[in-house]
Amino acid sequence: MNTAAPFDRLMDLVSAGDPLSAGDLSQLASTPDILPLGMLADVVRRRLHGTQVTYLRVALCAFDKLFTDAVLPAAREVRITGTPGTLDGAVTAVEAARAVAGERAVSGFSWMDVEKLAGQAGTSAALVLERLRSAGLDAVAELPMDRIDNLAEVLDRLVAARFQHVRLTIDKSPAAARTALVLHAAELQTRFACIQALSPLPTALNAMRPTTGYDDVKTVAIARLAAPNIPSIQVDWLRYGPKLAQVALTFGADDVDNVTAADDAPDGTRRAPLEDVRRNIKAAGFEPAERDGRFALIA
Amino acid sequence: MMINEIAQKVMGGGRVDRAEAIELYRHAPTHLLGHLADAIRARKHPGRIVTYIIDRNVNYTNVCVARCNFCAFYRPVGSSEGYVLGFEEIFTKIDETIAVGGNQLLLQGGHNPDLPIAWYEDLFRSVKARYPTFKLHALSPPEVLHISRLNEIPVPQVIERLIAAGLDSIPGGGAEILVDRVRKLLNCYGKASSDEWLDVMRHAHVAGLRTTATMMYGTVETDEERIEHLMRLREVQDETGGFTAFITWSYQPEHTERGGTEATGVDYLRTLALARIVLDNFDNLQASWVTQGGKVGQLSLAYGANDMGSVMIEENVVRAAGASYCMDELEIVVNIEDAGFIPKRRNMHYEVLGDPIFRERDVPRMLSLATARAGGDSSVPEELQNYPARSRRAKQQRASIGD
Repeated sequence: MNTAAPFDRLMDLVSAGDPLSAGDLSQLASTPDILPLGMLADVVRRRLHGTQVTYLRVALCAFDKLFTDAVLPAAREVRITGTPGTLDGAVTAVEAARAVAGERAVSGFSWMDVEKLAGQAGTSAALVLERLRSAGLDAVAELPMDRIDNLAEVLDRLVAARFQHVRLTIDKSPAAARTALVLHAAELQTRFACIQALSPLPTALNAMRPTTGYDDVKTVAIARLAAPNIPSIQVDWLRYGPKLAQVALTFGADDVDNVTAADDAPDGTRRAPLEDVRRNIKAAGFEPAERDGRFALIA
Repeated sequence: MMINEIAQKVMGGGRVDRAEAIELYRHAPTHLLGHLADAIRARKHPGRIVTYIIDRNVNYTNVCVARCNFCAFYRPVGSSEGYVLGFEEIFTKIDETIAVGGNQLLLQGGHNPDLPIAWYEDLFRSVKARYPTFKLHALSPPEVLHISRLNEIPVPQVIERLIAAGLDSIPGGGAEILVDRVRKLLNCYGKASSDEWLDVMRHAHVAGLRTTATMMYGTVETDEERIEHLMRLREVQDETGGFTAFITWSYQPEHTERGGTEATGVDYLRTLALARIVLDNFDNLQASWVTQGGKVGQLSLAYGANDMGSVMIEENVVRAAGASYCMDELEIVVNIEDAGFIPKRRNMHYEVLGDPIFRERDVPRMLSLATARAGGDSSVPEELQNYPARSRRAKQQRASIGD
């Protein structure tokens, strides 16, 4: 706020629904003044979603475990974790997940897994995607922009294989490099229109050198501002914890991913996972709304 | 008054009243609250310096007769898990504190009926004899009151005697919410009413001590009562100017009799920002990373805080209630610099002592906070036999020392 005139110009732009330039975004990303950044991102976020914040309850299940044990009735998406050694193993895991999931979405694997499975099977990534999709996979869970050389090609293949709700992630790229990644994603969205969500906070966490709160909220805000054509900016509830996830909602995030599907409440119903996420969303000034793994609201 | 008018008043350096404070707290967008608080922080600390202290949070006893229902740390008199630290144990903790660049103990404990004032005086004198420049930031107002009642000595004399023994300053613990309706519901009215808590601080300030002030929110109080708490602190600060800093944190419910839920991270940032706006006569606001974690702790610097609190080294009370965050000096400094501020070490008076210690010499990394004692250590310090006990169990324990 100590740069009033430039801030007013940026506020006029985002209020009018106009995109910010790469230069503006770069400057915003480099300033420690996070509150103006948060205000700008909040304007975009409210224009797209009003006061609604969606959340998704996910059942995480290792590919080689029994899905019937891990998939709780409250889960709205079954997410397969780990990497099977063979394509047949991956297909078997998807089929098993699909059998338990019923109508619910099934996601799993990363793009690197897809390439690895293709290499192992001596086939193409396109064919791997086709088989996984036919087996019942709804989404590739991790598409880390910082580890994919040709994101356009990957999106092309996903669309060709009928993956409709693409979610982009970041593996461990440093904060300084994330703005360019998000701008690239926004550019590709104009071509492919298949990206439903972007989860801009790193999925690979370094316990000895964790990201900082400033880093995290700036990353979320820059993602919201740089990619106004991507519907949702996500924050991972389990990975980043309730406090940071909640604050991120005031910096442009509109979707809380990876809420545990467990609904046991040994400390009372007010501290049950579902109540906790809803309470945090409301305390941030928003209205919670549950969605399914295909981004449809649950009535 | 509308939010915008109140915001303009704050930006112009005006003081908010109760009604304006409640309007801001309830209706101002979080970013606006942060913006107002940050503007006041910048006005008071234009050099972008953010301070921290290297000290150790030591709890000399967990035996307590107060029985506050929000506390998971205390053990009742006679409990097999009750402890009193020995002087030698405390000296060892001081040695470890000095080794990482520390200069002070934050020394607080339960209201133990078996520790007469002479125990505190002897402890303080022993510390000062061994470590003449080491500071004792010790005994919150309810502890001072407890000593006063137990020994039948008026509060001003208790403070005088403790100062003579080596007390340097008083921490603002035990304030919770300074509204008696709330204190009765939390079962902490008996340990100190609102007036009693504030009076101890007045006496301390008159005696020449500087103190801090705190607020634990998120139990049963209303928004108005949080603001009443801030207003009462502001009044005393207008009178005495003796508070160096204000620290707020959220109630930690795990393992407590009261139970319930913890207030959220956004609640914390809003409460901190409001405190910066209302407490216009306080220079320093600490971030409570120990209850909020490092990330929200760092974000506090955008919502009015100018101090990252203590490296702490040891923590027992909040940990007992479920929070177990840890930040060593390196991590505190990284967080301050990452937020665009300049880190400086300070003392309790908020005087800058210098740059980070770890940049001057090697200090060990600290990845978890220490505890008062190793698990299972139920030893009874030998020197306790020099002090009369009131409870049966303590009498028995002391009689058997040396057997």
